[in-house]
Amino acid sequence: MHTALKGKSPGARSNVWHKMWRSRLLYLILLPGLIHMLLFKLLPLFGLVIAFEDYNVIKGGINSIIDSKWVGFAHFEKFLGDAYFWKLLKNTLLLAFFNLLFVFPIPIIFALLVNEVRFRKVQRFVQTVTFFPYFISSAVAVSILYTFLSPQGGLVNMALQGLGVEPIFFMAEPGWFRPLYIMLNVWQLFGYSSIIYLAAMTNIDPHLYEAAELDGATRFGKMFHITLPSIAGTIVIMFILAIGQIMTVDLDKILMMYNPSIYDTADVIQSYVYRQAFATKGFPNYSYGAAVGLMQSVVAFILVISANRASKKFSDSQIF
Amino acid sequence: MKTRLRGFDYVNMVVLVLVSVICIYPLWNILAVSLSDGIYAAASKVYLIPKGLNVETYKYVLHNPRLGVSQGLWNSFAYTVVGTLVAVILTFLTAYPLSKKRLVGRKTIMLIFVFTFVFEAGIIPNFIVYKSLGLVNSFWVMIIPNAINTFLLIIMRSFLDALPEELEESAYIDGANDLQTMWKIYFPLARPAIATVCVFYSVAIWNQYLVPAIYLQKQSLKPITVVLYNLIVSGSKDGTSLESIKVHGVQLLPQNLQAAAIFLSVAPILIVYPFAQKYFTKGMLIGSVKG
Repeated sequence: MHTALKGKSPGARSNVWHKMWRSRLLYLILLPGLIHMLLFKLLPLFGLVIAFEDYNVIKGGINSIIDSKWVGFAHFEKFLGDAYFWKLLKNTLLLAFFNLLFVFPIPIIFALLVNEVRFRKVQRFVQTVTFFPYFISSAVAVSILYTFLSPQGGLVNMALQGLGVEPIFFMAEPGWFRPLYIMLNVWQLFGYSSIIYLAAMTNIDPHLYEAAELDGATRFGKMFHITLPSIAGTIVIMFILAIGQIMTVDLDKILMMYNPSIYDTADVIQSYVYRQAFATKGFPNYSYGAAVGLMQSVVAFILVISANRASKKFSDSQIF
Repeated sequence: MKTRLRGFDYVNMVVLVLVSVICIYPLWNILAVSLSDGIYAAASKVYLIPKGLNVETYKYVLHNPRLGVSQGLWNSFAYTVVGTLVAVILTFLTAYPLSKKRLVGRKTIMLIFVFTFVFEAGIIPNFIVYKSLGLVNSFWVMIIPNAINTFLLIIMRSFLDALPEELEESAYIDGANDLQTMWKIYFPLARPAIATVCVFYSVAIWNQYLVPAIYLQKQSLKPITVVLYNLIVSGSKDGTSLESIKVHGVQLLPQNLQAAAIFLSVAPILIVYPFAQKYFTKGMLIGSVKG
C-alpha cells in the first residue's frame, strides 16, 4: 500500500488518527484477539464485584450482578473472623513454603550433576527421560499415585508388607498429603526446570575451567567456584519468578488428591473457593467464594509486583 | 578436561541413571501391569516384564462404552486438534499486529494482556461469564476461553519482532496490503514459532482437567482426563471400583483396567514426545530471554 510507505518518510503528517487509519487492516487483524481478551480476561475481572454483593445464584448470569444487593466488605470481614480461613491460609502458606524449599533447588543440583557427565549420550538420555513427567497430566500423575499407593495390592504397600509394616492408606492420611503433593510436583517439574540452568551452563567460557585447573582446582572446586557463580544470575531470576508464583497451587492435583478425611492439611484457599461454588451440596455461596478468591489474587499480585521490583534492584533483569 | 576424581564420575552417573529410572519406572510398571494377566497383577508380582502377556485388557477397555475410555480418548483428540488450530490462529493474529512498531497503542494493549496474566479473576467470576456465554456443557468451552495464552503470545510476538522490517517494506512496494503481507510473507517465516506454540497448546489441551471437570457434566463430552479420574480416584473414594471379569480365559482385575486406561491416556503424548521435547526447550529459551 502506497499510504503505508508514505508513513516512513519524515515529512508525513504525524496525526495519530491518520496513523491509525493507515494501519486499519492491522487493527482488523487484532480485533478477534481484543474481543477474546475483553470477554475472557476483562469481563471476569468486572465480575469480581460480586465479592462485594450478595450475588443471586438463582437468577445467575451477568445481569444479576447489576441487580444484586451491595454489601461492601461484609464477606471479607466474615472470613477474616472465620477460624477456618486462618487454617486455609496456614495450609496454603505451608504448602507454598515446602514447595519452594524442594521444587526450587533440586533442579539446580540436578543440572550441576548432569553438567559433570562426560558422555554426551548419557547426558542426553538423562535429560530426555527426566523431562518426560512434565508432559504427563496431573490426572495421570495422580492416577499412578493412587494405583501405587493403594492399600490393596499397591506396589508401595506390598513392599511395606514385605518389611512387616501394616498397609497404610496414604491418600486418606492428613499427614501424608503434603509430602505426596510435593514429591509429585518435584517428579513432574525437576527435569523441565533444569533445562534453563543447563542452557546457562553451556554459555560458560571453557577458559575459566582451564585456568582453574592450572591453579589446581578439583572437580568440586570448579563446580562451586566457576559453574555456580556463572549461573547465579539465572538462579536469581528463577527465584524471583518462583516467589511471584508462591501462592499458585496446582489446583488440579489438589482436587484430585483430596477428600474430606484430609481437608485438615489439604484444603487450601483455591480448593475451598472451588468447593464453595461447585461441590457444596446445598446453596453455593458465589459471593463469599469470590471474596476469598479475590483476597488470594491480591496477595499473589502484590508478591509478583514486589518480586519484580526486587529483581530490578538486585539484578538488571526484570520479568516485565 | 582431565579428571582426577574418577570415582565421582561413576557415582554421578549411577545417581543420574537412578533418577531417570524413578522418572520412567511408574509408567513402565503401568504398561507391564496393563499387559499382564490379572492373577499376577493382583498379587503384585509384576514389576518390569508383563506376566501372562495378553492384550485382552486393552480390547476390553476400548470396547466397553460403559467405562467411557474410547469416548474420552476421542473427545480429547477432537478438543486437541480443533483447540490447537483455533488457538494458534488466534494467537498468531493477535501477535502479528502487536509486533508492528507503527501500531498506535501496542504497548498499552500488551500491558493489559500481561496484567490479566498476573491478575486473574478466579474460578467463580469465570464461571459466571462462561455460563452467560452458553459455554457450560458445550464443546467450545475446551476451545475458546484459553485460546490465547499470554506466555505463548509473548513468544510469538518476540519471534515476529525479530524478523527484519525490510520484508514488510518490500512487500508494500510490490503493492501488498497488511493482510497479504502477513499471510504471504510473515506466516511462512514464522513456522518455527508456530510449531512451538502448536506443541505447547496441544499438550495443554490434552492434559486439561479443571475446565472440563467444572463445565462438562455430559458423559458424551468428557475428555480422557476426567474419565480417568472417575475410573481411578472417585472409584476408590466411594468404594465402587471397577469389577473383575474373565475374558477369553484371562482374568481382568480393576488394576489391569486402570493401568490400561492410564497408559492409553499417555500414549498420544509418548508418540509426539520427541517433537514436543525439542519445541518445549526452544520455547522456554525464547521465553526466558525476551519475556
